[in-house]
Amino acid sequence: MNDLLWIVPILPLLGFLIQYVSAGKLPKLWVSCIGAGSVGLAAIIVALIGIEYLQQTDPVAYTVTLYTWMDVGGFKPGFSFYLDGLSLTMMFVITGVGFLIHLYSTLFMFDDESYARFFAYMNLFVSAMLVLVLADNLLLLYLGWEGVGLCSYLLIGFWHTDAANGLAARKAFVVTRVGDTAMALGLFLLFAHLGTLDIQPMMKLAGETWQTGDTIPTIACLLILGGAVGKSAQLPLQTWLPDAMAGPTPVSALIHAATMVTAGVYLIARTHDLFLLAPAAQMTVALVGLITLIMAACTALTQTDIKRILAYSTISQIGYMFLALGVGAWSAGIFHLMTHAFFKALLFLGAGAVIYSLHHEHDIFKMGGLRTKLPVPFWSFLIGSAALAGFPFITSGFYSKDEILLQAWAYGDMGPWLWAGGAFGALLTAIYSFRLVFIVFFGETRTEPSAPAGWAMAVPLVVLCGLAIVGGWFHVPVDAVFPEASPVRHGGTVFWVTAAIPVLGILIAWMIFLRKSIDVTPLTDSAVGRLVTRFWFSHWAMDWLYDLVLVRPYRWIAAINKDDAVDYVYNGTASLAQFLHRLIGTSQTGQLRWYAATMAAGLVLVIAILMEFI
Amino acid sequence: MTFLDFQALSPLLALTATILVVLMIIAYNRNHKVVCTTTVIGLFITLATIPCVIGIDPVQVTQLLVIDRFALLLITLIALVTIAVSLLAYDYFDGNSGRPEEFYLLLMLSALGGMVLVSSTHFASFLLGLELLSISLYALISYPIKGLIPLEAAVKYLILSGVASATLLMGAALLYAGLGTLSFEQLGSGFYPEQATVQAYIVIGSALLLTGLAFKLSLVPFHMWTPDVYEGAPAPVTAFVATVSKGAIFALMVRFFVLTGAFEYQSILVGLSVFAIGSMLAGNLLALMQNNVKRMLAYSSIAHIGYLLVAFISGGITGGMALALEASIFFLVAYIVTTLGAFGIVTILSNSDESRDCDALENYTGLFWRRPALAGAFSIILFSLAGIPLTAGFIGKFYIIAAGVKGTLWLLIATLVVGSGIGIYYYLRVIYTMTLKSTSTEPIRIPVASGWVMLLVTATILTLGVYPTPFIDMLGDLAKSLT
Repeated sequence: MNDLLWIVPILPLLGFLIQYVSAGKLPKLWVSCIGAGSVGLAAIIVALIGIEYLQQTDPVAYTVTLYTWMDVGGFKPGFSFYLDGLSLTMMFVITGVGFLIHLYSTLFMFDDESYARFFAYMNLFVSAMLVLVLADNLLLLYLGWEGVGLCSYLLIGFWHTDAANGLAARKAFVVTRVGDTAMALGLFLLFAHLGTLDIQPMMKLAGETWQTGDTIPTIACLLILGGAVGKSAQLPLQTWLPDAMAGPTPVSALIHAATMVTAGVYLIARTHDLFLLAPAAQMTVALVGLITLIMAACTALTQTDIKRILAYSTISQIGYMFLALGVGAWSAGIFHLMTHAFFKALLFLGAGAVIYSLHHEHDIFKMGGLRTKLPVPFWSFLIGSAALAGFPFITSGFYSKDEILLQAWAYGDMGPWLWAGGAFGALLTAIYSFRLVFIVFFGETRTEPSAPAGWAMAVPLVVLCGLAIVGGWFHVPVDAVFPEASPVRHGGTVFWVTAAIPVLGILIAWMIFLRKSIDVTPLTDSAVGRLVTRFWFSHWAMDWLYDLVLVRPYRWIAAINKDDAVDYVYNGTASLAQFLHRLIGTSQTGQLRWYAATMAAGLVLVIAILMEFI
Repeated sequence: MTFLDFQALSPLLALTATILVVLMIIAYNRNHKVVCTTTVIGLFITLATIPCVIGIDPVQVTQLLVIDRFALLLITLIALVTIAVSLLAYDYFDGNSGRPEEFYLLLMLSALGGMVLVSSTHFASFLLGLELLSISLYALISYPIKGLIPLEAAVKYLILSGVASATLLMGAALLYAGLGTLSFEQLGSGFYPEQATVQAYIVIGSALLLTGLAFKLSLVPFHMWTPDVYEGAPAPVTAFVATVSKGAIFALMVRFFVLTGAFEYQSILVGLSVFAIGSMLAGNLLALMQNNVKRMLAYSSIAHIGYLLVAFISGGITGGMALALEASIFFLVAYIVTTLGAFGIVTILSNSDESRDCDALENYTGLFWRRPALAGAFSIILFSLAGIPLTAGFIGKFYIIAAGVKGTLWLLIATLVVGSGIGIYYYLRVIYTMTLKSTSTEPIRIPVASGWVMLLVTATILTLGVYPTPFIDMLGDLAKSLT
C-alpha cells in the first residue's frame, strides 16, 4: 500500500483538472460523480493505507519520493511525501470529512449555476491540503499552504457577483498573507542556518545545533507561529475568519472549520522539535491560544448570525488546540483537532441544512421551534453542540478537551492559571452552544421551513453524528511522533470539576434561554452591559482597531503618495536602461571598418589586462 | 592508429562518409527530398555509432583528438541540432526557386568541424576544426543569394572571422615559441616559466588566443558582427551559427582550460570576467528596444554567453571546478536547445523565396490568435531564455548562480541579476506582441517536419525544466571525469 500514497493527492487534483478543463460543460451528474467520487476514492485509499500502517506492531514512518526537481549545489527541492501517525490522522480527517462534505454539497449546491466551478475549487483544495500534510519538506508544505490559501480565497468569494463576498475573500487573503510572510521568513532563516528544508533531518539537525532557549530557534518558531496564527485565525490575525462565512456553507464546514484552519496546529505539531528548543515561543503559543479562546467565546455569546456564532466557536476551539500545543500536550491537541473536525463539520452542515430549509435565513432570532420540523438538523445540532460543549462521557469533545485541560493543569507553575482560563472558556462554550440550540430549535416557530433536504444531505449528517459521539474513543496514532506527555490523573477534584463545567454551562443556558427563569435583560440593558455586549459583538473591537491603526494610515499614506515615490526608482531605472540602450546602440554602425577597429582596440585591452594582472 | 582508434572515431567517420554519399547523389541527380533524407539518415547513423564508442572511452587518438564522454555528449548534441536544422531548412527551401542541395553538404561539413573542435587536444586539430566550421559557414550565410543582405553578412563574417583566426594562429605560434609544444596537455606543464621573454610570449599568446575565442563566442567587445550576421543569414543558418558554432568553441575552451590548467592563471580569469560583465550588460541593453527579432535574439545570445562565463570562471576557485563544469555544460545545453527553438520559430514563419526573413517584431502581432500552438511554443522558449521556472533556462540560470555563489563572484552575480532583469522586458515584449489583435488574416502553414522539430524542442525545454535530475546526475559524473 505504500506505493499508493502518491495517488491520494493526485486523485482530487485530477478531479479539479477534469472539471477545470471541461469549463462547466459536463452534465451535473458527472460533476457530482467526479467531484465527490475523487475524494471518496482518495478516502478509500487512505483507509487501506491506514489499515496496513496501523496493523504493524511497531508502525514505522516512511518517505515516498515522487521525484526530485533539481539537485544543484546541495539544494534539492523534492516532491516527497512523509507518512507517520500525524499525517495519517490528518489524511483521515481531510479525505473522510472531506468526502462527507462533498457528498452533502452535491445537493446543497445543486441549483447553483456554477456547480462545476464549485467542485473544481473544492477538489483543488483537498489536493492542496493533502500535499500540505504529506509534505516531507517545508518547501512542498509551503506549496500546499499557499494552495489551500488560494482555494480559500476563491471559495469565500465564490458568489462573486455580490461585492461584499469579494471583499471578504480579499480580507481573508490579505490577513493570512501577513502570516505567510512571517512564515516564509522563518523558512529562510531555518534554511540559512541548517542548510536543509527536509523536515525530519532538519529537526534532528536543529537539536544538534542549538541549545534549548537559543535565540535563533526562538525567532524561527515565532515566525512560524506567525504563519500558524494567520492560517488558524488566532490572535492577532483572527479577524478574517468570521467574514469568511460569506462563502457557501459546505466551504465553511470543510475549509473554515475542519481542515484548513487547523493547518497552523498541524504546522506547529510537525515542527514540535523546534518549539521544544524555544520554550519562550512555546509559551507564546499557549498564551495566544488561551487569550483567543476566551475572546472568541465571549463574542460567540453575543452573535446572532448562525454561521458567525460557529465561526467564533471555531476560533475558540482552535485556541484550545494552541493551548494544548503550548503546554506540550501534542497528542491531545491533535486529538482535539480530529474531534473538532467531526463535530464542527456536523454543526456547519446542520446549519447549512437549516439555512437551506429556511430560504437562506441566517439570523437565529428569526428561527425557532424547528425541533419537530427539521428532525435531522435538530439531532445534528444537539449532538454537535453537546460535543462542542464537551458534555461528559458520551461525546467526543469531552475526551479531547478534558485531556487538554488536565494537561494544562499539570503544566508547571502556570498550569492552574492556564487551566482556569481554559475552564472558563469551556463554561462560555457550553452557554453559547446551547443558546444556539435552544433559540433555533425550541420555542415558537418564527419562520416556516420548507421540506427537509434529501438523503445526500441527511446521510453525511447522520454519519458525522456518529463520529461526533464515538470519535472520542478513537486513539490518535501519534504516540511515536511526539515526546511522551506528562501523565494526567483521571479522577480527583480537578477531573470532576473539569467534567462538571459543561453541564453547568448547559444548565445556565437552559435557565436563561429556554426556561427563562433567569432574566438577563436588566444586565444587558444597563449602560455597562450594553457597552460590553457591543464590545463583545464586535469581537473586542478588533476590526475597528485595525481599521484605525492600519487601514486608515495606510490609505492616508497611499493618498498623499499617489505618484509613488518608490516608482521614481523603477521609472528611473527604466529610463536609464533606455538611455544606455541608445548610447551603446550607436556603436552598432554596421560598418566593417569600425568593427575591425574595435576588434583591434579590444585586443590591446586584453593584452593590457593580462600584462597588468600577471 | 589501431583498430580501437578507428572505432573511437566512428561518429566522425560516419559523418564524413555521409558527406561523400551526399556529394555523389548531388552529382548524379539533384533532388531536394532525397538529399535531405540522406543527410538526416546519415546523421542518425552517426548518432547510432555513439553507443559503440561509449564502452571504450576515453580514447586518445594520436595527439590530436580525444574521444571521451564530454566529446561524445557534444557530438550527440551537434548531430541532433544538425538534424533539426536540416529538417527546418528542408521546409524553408522546399518548393522554392534556387538549388538548395549543397546546403546540406556545407551544413554537414560545418558540423564535422564542430565535432573535431569538441574533441581537440592539440592546436593543429583545433585550427583544422575551426576552419572547417567557419569556411563552411561563410558559404552557408550567403546561401540563397537573393539579395545583398546575406551577401553583406557573409562578407563581414568572412573578413572579421578571418582576422580572428589569424589572431588565434598568432597566439598559437607565440605559445609554441615560448613552450615548444602545441599539445594542450604539454602546454599546461610549462605555464609558469622563469624567463621573462618566455613569459612575454605566453602572455601575448594567451591574449591573442583569448581574443580569437571571444570573437567566435561574440563576447563584448568582439561582439559587433553578431547582430548583422544573425540578421543577414537565412534563419536556419542563424540557428546553426548560434548553437553549434558557439557550443563547439565553448566546449573547446573548457577542454583547453582543463588540460592546460589555465584556470590557475589569475589574469586570464580577470580578462574573462571583463568579457562576462561587458557581455551581460551590453547584450541585454542592446536587445532592450530592438524591433527585429533576429537582432534581438543575437544580442540575447551575447548576454547568454556572458552568463555562461560566470559559471566557467567559478572553476578557477579551489574545489569549484566540478560544479563549474557541471553548471556550464547544463547551461550550454539549455542555451543550445532554447536558441534552436527560437530561430526555429523564425524559420517556420519565413520562406527562402522572400527577400527578408520574417524577423520584424510587427510580423508577430496576433500570432496567438492565428497559430496558438506556434505562439505557445515561442512563449515557452522565451520564458526559458528569460529564466522562468519550469523551463530549462531557469535550472541553467539557477545552476550558474549556485556556482557563482560558491565561487563568491559577487560582482558577476550582481551583473547577471541586473542583466536578467533587463532581459525579461524584451522577452515579454515579444509575447505581448503575439497576444495583440491580429492585423493579418493570411493563414500560416506549419510544415510537418518543422512542426515535429518544434514539438520536440519545446518538450525538451520543459522536460529539462521539470525533471532535470537524470541529466544532472549524468553531468555530475561527466564533470568529475573531466577534472
